[in-house]
Amino acid sequence: MGGPPYDCMANPLGAVRLTFEKAIGLGSETVTHPSAFEGKDWGALELFRHFLFQESGLSKVPILNPKTLRWVQHNSLVRYRGMIQDMLGNEFYVGAYRDDGSSWRTNKFTDFSQYPMQSPSDTCIWERRLLYCVPVPGQSSWAEPSCDMDPNWSPQRREKRRRMDGEDSDPMDLVPEDEVKSSPITKKMREDGLPSTSPEPMDLKTASSSSGMSTVQFVDKDNLPCLVKIYDSPESDLKLNDVFEFIGVLTFDSELAVEKDDNELSNSFYDDALVHMPPNKVPRLHCIVHRKLAVHDFLPGSPIMEPKPHLVKEIREALFRHLTAVLGNDGVAAHFMLLHLLSKVHTRVDDVAIGKLSLNLIGLSKESVSVFGTRLTQTFKSLLPCTKCLPLTLEYLNTASLAPKKDYQTNRLIPGVLQLPEGSHLMVDETQLESGSLNSIGIENTKILKNLIEFQKVEYDFQFYKVEMAADIQLLIFSDGKSNIVPADVIVPFQPSALESSEIPVAEALEAWRWYLATVKSLPHSIGSEMQKVVEDDLVAARQADRSLGSQDFSRWLTMARLISSSLGETCLSLEHWQMVKELERLRNERLK
Amino acid sequence: MASDSSPANFNNGPSSPDDSFSSPIPNTSSPAHRRRRGRRQASTPSTAAATPPPNPSRFANSASTPTPSRSTKRGRRPATSPTPAAAATPSSTDDFPPPSSDGGDDMEEATPTFVWGTNISVQDVKNAIQMFIKHFRDPQELSNDIYGEGKYTRMIHRVLEVEGEWIDVDAHDVFNYDSDLYNKMMRYPLEVLAIFDIVLMDIVSLINPLFDKHVQVRIHNLKSSTSMRNLNPSDIEKMVSLKGMVIRCSSIIPEIREAVFRCIVCGYHSDPIVVDRGRITEPTSCLKQECMAKNSMTLVHNRCRFADKQIVRLQETPDEIPEGGTPHTVSLLMHDKLVDAGKPGDRVEVTGIYRAMSVRVGPTQRTVKSLFKTYIDCLHIKKNDKSRMTAEDPMEVDKGSQRVDDDVQFDEEKVEELKELSKQPDVYEKLTRSLAPNIWELDDVKKGLLCQLFGGNALVLPSGASFRGDINILLVGDPGTSKSQLLQYIHKLAPRGIYTSGRGSSAVGLTAYVAKDPETGETVLESGALVLSDRGICCIDEFDKMSDNARSMLHEVMEQQTVSIAKAGIIASLNARTSVLACANPSGSRYNPRLSVIDNIHLPPTLLSRFDLIYLILDKADEQTDRRLAKHIVSLHFEDTEIAEHDVIDLATLTAYVSYARKNIHPKLSDEAAEELTRGYVEMRKRGNFPGSSKKVITATPRQIESLIRLSEALARIRFSEWVEMRDVTEAFRLLEVAMQQSATDHSTGTIDMDLITTGVSASERMRRESVLSAARNIIMDKLQLGGPSVRLLELLEELKKQSSGGEIHLHDLRTAVATLASEGFVVLHGDSVKRI
Repeated sequence: MGGPPYDCMANPLGAVRLTFEKAIGLGSETVTHPSAFEGKDWGALELFRHFLFQESGLSKVPILNPKTLRWVQHNSLVRYRGMIQDMLGNEFYVGAYRDDGSSWRTNKFTDFSQYPMQSPSDTCIWERRLLYCVPVPGQSSWAEPSCDMDPNWSPQRREKRRRMDGEDSDPMDLVPEDEVKSSPITKKMREDGLPSTSPEPMDLKTASSSSGMSTVQFVDKDNLPCLVKIYDSPESDLKLNDVFEFIGVLTFDSELAVEKDDNELSNSFYDDALVHMPPNKVPRLHCIVHRKLAVHDFLPGSPIMEPKPHLVKEIREALFRHLTAVLGNDGVAAHFMLLHLLSKVHTRVDDVAIGKLSLNLIGLSKESVSVFGTRLTQTFKSLLPCTKCLPLTLEYLNTASLAPKKDYQTNRLIPGVLQLPEGSHLMVDETQLESGSLNSIGIENTKILKNLIEFQKVEYDFQFYKVEMAADIQLLIFSDGKSNIVPADVIVPFQPSALESSEIPVAEALEAWRWYLATVKSLPHSIGSEMQKVVEDDLVAARQADRSLGSQDFSRWLTMARLISSSLGETCLSLEHWQMVKELERLRNERLK
Repeated sequence: MASDSSPANFNNGPSSPDDSFSSPIPNTSSPAHRRRRGRRQASTPSTAAATPPPNPSRFANSASTPTPSRSTKRGRRPATSPTPAAAATPSSTDDFPPPSSDGGDDMEEATPTFVWGTNISVQDVKNAIQMFIKHFRDPQELSNDIYGEGKYTRMIHRVLEVEGEWIDVDAHDVFNYDSDLYNKMMRYPLEVLAIFDIVLMDIVSLINPLFDKHVQVRIHNLKSSTSMRNLNPSDIEKMVSLKGMVIRCSSIIPEIREAVFRCIVCGYHSDPIVVDRGRITEPTSCLKQECMAKNSMTLVHNRCRFADKQIVRLQETPDEIPEGGTPHTVSLLMHDKLVDAGKPGDRVEVTGIYRAMSVRVGPTQRTVKSLFKTYIDCLHIKKNDKSRMTAEDPMEVDKGSQRVDDDVQFDEEKVEELKELSKQPDVYEKLTRSLAPNIWELDDVKKGLLCQLFGGNALVLPSGASFRGDINILLVGDPGTSKSQLLQYIHKLAPRGIYTSGRGSSAVGLTAYVAKDPETGETVLESGALVLSDRGICCIDEFDKMSDNARSMLHEVMEQQTVSIAKAGIIASLNARTSVLACANPSGSRYNPRLSVIDNIHLPPTLLSRFDLIYLILDKADEQTDRRLAKHIVSLHFEDTEIAEHDVIDLATLTAYVSYARKNIHPKLSDEAAEELTRGYVEMRKRGNFPGSSKKVITATPRQIESLIRLSEALARIRFSEWVEMRDVTEAFRLLEVAMQQSATDHSTGTIDMDLITTGVSASERMRRESVLSAARNIIMDKLQLGGPSVRLLELLEELKKQSSGGEIHLHDLRTAVATLASEGFVVLHGDSVKRI
């Protein structure tokens, strides 16, 4: 096959249709009955994968966000990055049917059938999964995918597409003249620079009723949820709170929005998704290809480097200096901070989450938090993809909903503050907590926080029962004394010696650090049998000397040992690293006295 | 021949007042039809009712493809029809091809009628159903009553007597009688059920021609039930059975079935007009010949007929949710009697027909919407659960709000598996190993906990005296010895239980609380942790931190197993048949082996004696243990693969095992076991008498023998044995001894001393005190003159030390002794000086 006769980006449905026709053998003697597919892929995926990854079409696909939403075409290929916030179950749709000319058509990757269905007996019902996705909570600005897409992309494409239409007579394009009509509006919007001001919605609405343009007004500019429809993927692939990039066909079925029927019956009978997520608020994405995003995928355009030890050490040194400066020249705290930032849960044995290293900086007052807290927040924002801060005031505890809760009225999972994707960083500022009484919500919230830090699990409230969801959140706590509400693994008395602000790191340095944090975190790790013996002996000796040491302390040491050797780019624990752990613990204990 | 005896004037319209979508009841029609209708209405609305569908498509052609044809007959039988059918659930009456006006009549001529697209003959199905109803006999009754009436014939008679409206048919019976019919029913429920109803009506009218209610069939107890998650398009139009939890019920929706209009000009009342495809056609003019007024007809509400319907949402139960998923939900459509059969929170098992319907097509919509909404047309609903407070069997209910345990319906396979497990000679060891496999060592503690989980037999004598079967356990130990983890684990495992911390619990929080309802002024009882864990295990962490007040009410709970409340207006005694598992820290941060248990934990001896087993979990400075800990933690961290737990029973099986045993095994004492118990007990008591020792040490109390019985019963249960055998008793003694040796060891003598627990002071301690006392008395007699000068205590101490050969005497010992003497009136104590009087 020469160049593909379809445009995967502007007209993905055309491509889907072509593969479908090919697959059922349209035009040839024997036509396969589409029910044979059972809704599974017939070769369209292959095509898109090839286009996206082999022909590096991925970077050309526009990313769906409130900005791009204004010019992205209905039924075009888009990317969306988000966290799966809720799962709305399965949806049945007419997957294939016979049209007037009694040839088979497919509805896969679209909401509407483009042709009238001839005989309803000639239909195949298939299913797809509905996922409600939201932008990654607490995502740092640098981690957002760059949308340097040329906004003029669409007209060019459109031309190309129209040319194609000529050859192809694609009835998929709804009404070409409408597009022409609507483009001045979008243009005007862009020129005005005030896209959401009052007069426009009217214009847009009229435009939207006649064209398939994505002219949707969003209340929250920064928060674009998306209803993703998943095809051809086993259920276990996509889990709650996972961060994914979905590539698929964008649809706005603005007509559905018209149906606002407050009949209770229809509400409870319709998928509540339609009622509570009107399509003009939540765009639909018919996912063709999806991939799970790791921390690495957030790094904008950095090449995948081999984590060479000397390189790693260099970056580590620089990052450590930076952290020390941020922490007011407190080297010990900076050491622990570095390890803390590298921690992640790598295994769970029963209830024990191994690999977590939550950090509690004590000796902070309200005043010092305002200095160092803000500084650290800034630092984390520039280093980590997802960060969040919890001001632990009495009022907050008594009112906030930390854990997600199911609302059966709307049949939606109401997000809680602690519904965070894997690897998020959470700062808890306990210095602002004053004495007072907690109400039942407050007690529940403290329980949730404690559960999170101890077991890295959050209990989701489904009213009739609770479901524990595993989390992997790095927790950093600021407090005056040791925090009892959020008991951390490591308690470090914070002793800054300098107040002056640190220098602002250059962009290259930041990039290198981000890369470092992301890479080192996922390094494999092992221990030699000799070293294991040494460690065991040390633990036994320590326990003989101090009976108060328990498995938690040992666990902490070993986590630190792992992190220290990882932080130096090593994959195997060495004696030196182990000595460093002991030294760090000694320094820490000295401070605690 | 389908259905022909049944009413001729089937109405083929849906009964909903709102045509286009919103009333799901009539929408038992297949979705495809709806779509078609929508289109048609858009173009020529008036033809909708009149156009008969193409005849061949009257039945579902294939399971996955809904056909439009059914829709034409999905109307309910109107009440005016000869056979009253109004009360029919739509699923059973709808969609059956009735000989309705729209082309159904011709079926009378065509003799072999088939379910469309299949080779299932309607007549065959009808015959099969007739045979089933007439001839099916419960296998259990077969022997004695071979000529009697079949199970369902009898049932029909009973229904007629009580004027019931339905007959519950066990799908297992159908399967056993005619598996072919069962399969047809599963695959083509709409058709088969409709035939079933017709057969039933025929029979009913034979028995009592005047019976004017429509009797329906309700199928339940299918051979297999589907998980909500696995419903897929191929299940559409099939009969399915689901388990789940009701989370939301809509209000009851009255659905119009037939309407009566009145002419406002002449007052003429029209005949009832039956709903036709969800629509009532309002007469445009008065039907009375003399009047004929245009647009004069108004609806007479109170002469219309309505039926109830309700939409209920069912959600997956927690145990069906895979990791990283959220529960799925499905809508249920309930009619008539099924309305309000389940309340939010109920766990139900539902049998019904999985249906799909297309989403409403807006009138302005140009393109056809291709989505379906699915729901289950409910035929039968069975509540699985009694509410927690009324449940008799502890295993059938959830425990706490945390984990809802489904009532373990043991299927035979599972029971076999469990029995197999129980037959293994090392099942006791195996279960011990499987209990909290991550906490090692502490094997004896785990064995004790295992006994607690299984529990002994509660006994109520005819005289009214009752003996508890619950085993109470107290764990005392150093911090960091995984007591709390053990507690958490047991809490997780126990069929029902509450986990609470002594620090935060108040007496009312644990027992019960009387509150006044602010609105009605009624007093209501709110249960506390102990009452809530009735027939379960109440885990109390930080027992030592509990306030005395709260602790004192445990006395009643732990021996009498009730909680009594006397508050103004309310005097109540609530059952709290709970096992208490408590854990406490020693009063100092660490256990002080030189002090007695009482001194260590600061608990009243009265309460302590109520614990069957008191384990001291001490952190011994043992290098071997430390090394194991170190090894364990290192391997935890550095072997990324899960640590393989060899030969460990998983939690689910363990729970099932415990539940089954508690439910079904009630061991009794065998004679030899009873003898052994007596012998052992006597021996235990004897043990206090050391040969050549004058010290009297009580080693066992009657409470202990009760504990022993309970423990050996529990041990027999572990083996699924109905008899308590010698070995159980021996093990029970061993367990008690292990626990006692730790807790009741008199540290000065090394013997078991129950006094240590019941009074807090050991016998040897008492003897020592007495010797100090007598020594002090002697010295004072020797040294001090009556009324002479006083002596300082320290001097006395010196004197005492000189005299006593061994053993150290402390000042405070002397002081206590002198105080005793002073109380005897022998001396007076002024500050530090002693004066003889």
